[in-house]
Amino acid sequence: MNRLINNVHFSAIILIVLTLISTLLAQSNSQTNLVAILVTLSVVIKGQQIVDVFMELKNAQAKWRWLLLSYAILVPTILAIIIYTRST
Amino acid sequence: MGNILLFDEINNVSVTKQVSEKKLPGDLAMWIFIVMELTVFAVFFIAFAVTQRIQSDMFIEGRATLNASIGLFCTLALIVSSYFVASAVEAVKKGKNFVASRRLILALLSATVYLVLKLSEYTTLVGLGYDLSTNTFYTLYFFITGFHFMHVLLGMIILAYMGIKARKDSYIPTDSNGFEAGASYWHMVDLVWIIVFFLIYIIH
Repeated sequence: MNRLINNVHFSAIILIVLTLISTLLAQSNSQTNLVAILVTLSVVIKGQQIVDVFMELKNAQAKWRWLLLSYAILVPTILAIIIYTRST
Repeated sequence: MGNILLFDEINNVSVTKQVSEKKLPGDLAMWIFIVMELTVFAVFFIAFAVTQRIQSDMFIEGRATLNASIGLFCTLALIVSSYFVASAVEAVKKGKNFVASRRLILALLSATVYLVLKLSEYTTLVGLGYDLSTNTFYTLYFFITGFHFMHVLLGMIILAYMGIKARKDSYIPTDSNGFEAGASYWHMVDLVWIIVFFLIYIIH
């Protein structure tokens, strides 16, 4: 199972499916918090796949892996917080 | 006997060390460069998001002039391209340089789809009278996507060079650092675009 998850073919499928789902969600004109969270989460997962599988950092030194993973997690999250949260 | 045991212990230690030593793909200089590039893009992204929050009406109007389908197909083109590059790395590690060069050609073809789509979008927008000086949305839009476009062009030159070297059977499975470094750069371009797509085409 772990070998399958680290497989580039499987990763490419995940990336394509998540891209299609997030685009559909964004086009649905549904402006709920759930949609915003799902779309942001899809970007984070796509980033994780690129870092771990395509860049092959899954088994690299932890500091480099986490440096790149933190980018893939933090940047979309910060952008979503800036844009989606309502000012009071 | 003692000596033999000592020898075995040393041998075991060295074997254990080999197993726990984790290798960074490519070379260190490329990773430092990648982190620097990602940081620059992060600053642009945050600038875009903050400006959108301040001038939300302008950004809603600006985004309405973009075609989300073009953004979608650009994303798919770069994902497919990255997939072929990752497959090419696997081929080089197995000593199949010719297979790697063919996969890099497919990666370049897929990247060309991105270039054509992006240029068609720029042409349409300029035709409608929008350019860098129209308003803050278009300044940031052209700047971020244009900067990324330049990275794609540079990445394609690197991939083409790697393809030529692979065709000449220059890479060996035990030392494919140069190939991995070029591939990592390309994946960085893909990672950045995924956030560009999210920020410019998806969020509204």
